[in-house]
Amino acid sequence: MTAAAIRTWDLCRSYGTYQALTKLSLEVPRGEVFGLLGHNGAGKTTTVNLLTTLLEPTSGRAEIGGRNTVNDAASVRRSIGYLPENVQFYDSLTLMENLRFFGRLSGIRKPDARIADVLRFLDFTGHENQRLGTFSKGMRQRVGIAQAILHDPSVLFLDEPTSGLDPEGVRILRETIVRLNQEYGMTVFMNTHLLTEVTKTCTSIGILNHGHLVHHDTLVNTLASFPEEESLEAIYFQLDPAVAP
Amino acid sequence: MSVFITSAHHETLSVCRARIAHLLLFVFIGMVSLSSIIGWVTNITVTGVYEKILANGLTVAPNPFSAVPELYYARNAVIYVVLIGTLMAIVLGVQATLRDRKSATAGLILSRPVAVSARVGGQLAGLGVVIFAVLAISMAISWAGISIITGAPLGSDSTFRLLGFAGCAWMLLMVFAIIGMIAGITSKRETTALLVPFALWSGLAFVIPQLGTAARPVALLNPVPMPEQTGGYFDVLSAITGPLSITEHFKRAGSILLRDSNVSGSAGSSVAILLGFLVIAVVVVVLVPRQKLRQTLND
Repeated sequence: MTAAAIRTWDLCRSYGTYQALTKLSLEVPRGEVFGLLGHNGAGKTTTVNLLTTLLEPTSGRAEIGGRNTVNDAASVRRSIGYLPENVQFYDSLTLMENLRFFGRLSGIRKPDARIADVLRFLDFTGHENQRLGTFSKGMRQRVGIAQAILHDPSVLFLDEPTSGLDPEGVRILRETIVRLNQEYGMTVFMNTHLLTEVTKTCTSIGILNHGHLVHHDTLVNTLASFPEEESLEAIYFQLDPAVAP
Repeated sequence: MSVFITSAHHETLSVCRARIAHLLLFVFIGMVSLSSIIGWVTNITVTGVYEKILANGLTVAPNPFSAVPELYYARNAVIYVVLIGTLMAIVLGVQATLRDRKSATAGLILSRPVAVSARVGGQLAGLGVVIFAVLAISMAISWAGISIITGAPLGSDSTFRLLGFAGCAWMLLMVFAIIGMIAGITSKRETTALLVPFALWSGLAFVIPQLGTAARPVALLNPVPMPEQTGGYFDVLSAITGPLSITEHFKRAGSILLRDSNVSGSAGSSVAILLGFLVIAVVVVVLVPRQKLRQTLND
């Protein structure tokens, strides 16, 4: 039996007396595009930080591809790609210099050929020697995706990847995520607020409410469970009362 | 390429592209280079006056510049290192660690198989290379300037002394660069990241030496160290503040190396104290906890 791409057991994280995440038990099989939904402060970013080894759990445990995020953190880091929310990168450096830096940190000894492949895959060639200070938000987000997949990770974590993007930027990002999943079999775990994007991109969803996982199922099953509702948005409001209008 | 070398290369590249760093480096190199020119202008002026009064039969004393050692022309560089170089080093150090926090890349870097000591150590090595390059350029200009003034290339002994002075300056500047790095890691705001090390610098350069020497603040702007006071209260206080007066130790070592007649003795103990400060600072910064590196800024 192959291990799930992501698995957590009673994962908890508190900041002082504030409980950000409570007993999160979750399994994301390989090859899924999983969308984690929830209101601001629901615990989505904390979850991603725990799974990407940036935080250690207060209790419980998590595994990425069968490797423990605390005891085997270095191995987990080699197998994941990560794009945080609102990352700016280094404005004074060119696209190539930024990507070389992150490629080498990921253990790629001679990253130029791999960078060229990734930029071709993202249809983002022609900007290699341009400084990032001149890039739009949408272009920066593609830089973010490029650095996250340079080392060919098996699991890709995206924290609010469409935040601040224009509709064209959102479309490009959505298509990229779908291609990464379908052409490379990459498991994608993303936090998002945009329910339309979840409908078009994700194969399964989870909903966090004040640190508790209140729903977790495939998108198809979720939609089928609420035949009376017209959209995922209506279902979301039912499942997460914190955001109900 | 290892994380250490990647980080060092990234740091040098980032400093080379930063405008504020360009400005500071330009000012520092300019001031250290000017040190020789100021000495040369002083020489010409004094010698001109001396020759006039000699021609008028008003003196029989020798020209005061005839016995001046050739490294005399670089002596003002001591105070430029303390006043301008250290501030430049602080700014470079703060920028090195604050850059990742401001651009939100700290989390991204730490999500990679990166050891904190290799990352921070690499940044430190990058700064070390930059500061070495700045001092090398400054000393090369000083060497050339003094050679032109004296009409002959600087001898090997003086050249080695100039290199020794640059080595001491490198140690002092690295200590302040590390203070800047630590402030960049631990501060909650960008403004305090700069203000705290500047306050510490003023304490180390002015307040602590004053306690043990009773010197006037202006006297501490001289390139030569102030002698410690003795007797009663000062015996106790200078025993405490003496080793902490890192800039005074640099001034002492620098003045001895540059053959300043106002300072005598060996530079060994002062160099050892500079080295001790540097070793402690390196250990503190490379052992910084992983979580500290990705603290969000409140600005």
